[in-house]
Amino acid sequence: MKAVKNMNLSEFAVLVYNQLKKKGIRCVLTGGACVSIYTDNQYQSYDLDFIDETESSRKKVNQALSEIGFFEENRYFRHPDSKFFVEFPSGPLSVGSEPVKNIVTLKFPSGQLKLLSPTDCAKDRLSAYYHWNDRQSLEQALLVAKNQKIDLKEIRRWSKHENKLREFNLIQKLFNNNIP
Amino acid sequence: MLETLLGSGNREKVLVFLYARQDGYAREISRFFNTDLNQIQKQLERLEIGGILASRMVGRTRLYSFNPRYPFTTDIKSLMGNAFKFYPQELQDSLVITRRRPRRKGKPL
Repeated sequence: MKAVKNMNLSEFAVLVYNQLKKKGIRCVLTGGACVSIYTDNQYQSYDLDFIDETESSRKKVNQALSEIGFFEENRYFRHPDSKFFVEFPSGPLSVGSEPVKNIVTLKFPSGQLKLLSPTDCAKDRLSAYYHWNDRQSLEQALLVAKNQKIDLKEIRRWSKHENKLREFNLIQKLFNNNIP
Repeated sequence: MLETLLGSGNREKVLVFLYARQDGYAREISRFFNTDLNQIQKQLERLEIGGILASRMVGRTRLYSFNPRYPFTTDIKSLMGNAFKFYPQELQDSLVITRRRPRRKGKPL
């Protein structure tokens, strides 16, 4: 296994995911780290947000991660040899007001990782753009669309459900320009 | 009113305040209800960790509001809205009627 200090974000995520899985803690990676993975680090995140589907106790998570050298600091988990940090936002796994139905499993040389699909990843970023007018989040959603196959019809349906159809119509052209 | 359900009277105060005013900070909420600042801060932090509230810094003040990305925000607001209707009229008025328009620095009144 590669030394932690040499791991990129995907390898680091796999390390955490596998250790938690081994201990019976089922997690799904969400947030900006998914953008990093889907865009081959064109957007670099250092924050790995895992939603714990088993709702394990903090103590159990702490024990599992401390076995591989992590320590807890202000509700984040860090490894002394890495700049990445891990957080467990409270669930449920959702994009806006809808539960996530389609979870993707990616296979890496060091193991598997469960994460949001590219379409849900784009929705997750758009949710931040819609509600907080965060332009960076829109840019991230567009980057995902440029690098991965996303379902624009589904994003339109979801936007309507979130009462953000008007906002989606304003940015749809940007997506059309970004989809290869 | 919802203390049993929410597990804390101060948590209800925080949620109903934010329902009525859209946003607020710890000292403002504790002063309004004349309650302990630390307890209100604790509830705000817990609700933020739980994803129900989101916060941002405005100057040196941490301003809290409902997290629009939390999947049950509409339901929680609806519940708080229904509870709000049962609050004494005087309390409803003082929660809702507050000066939100600008006040120029140095204005005597």
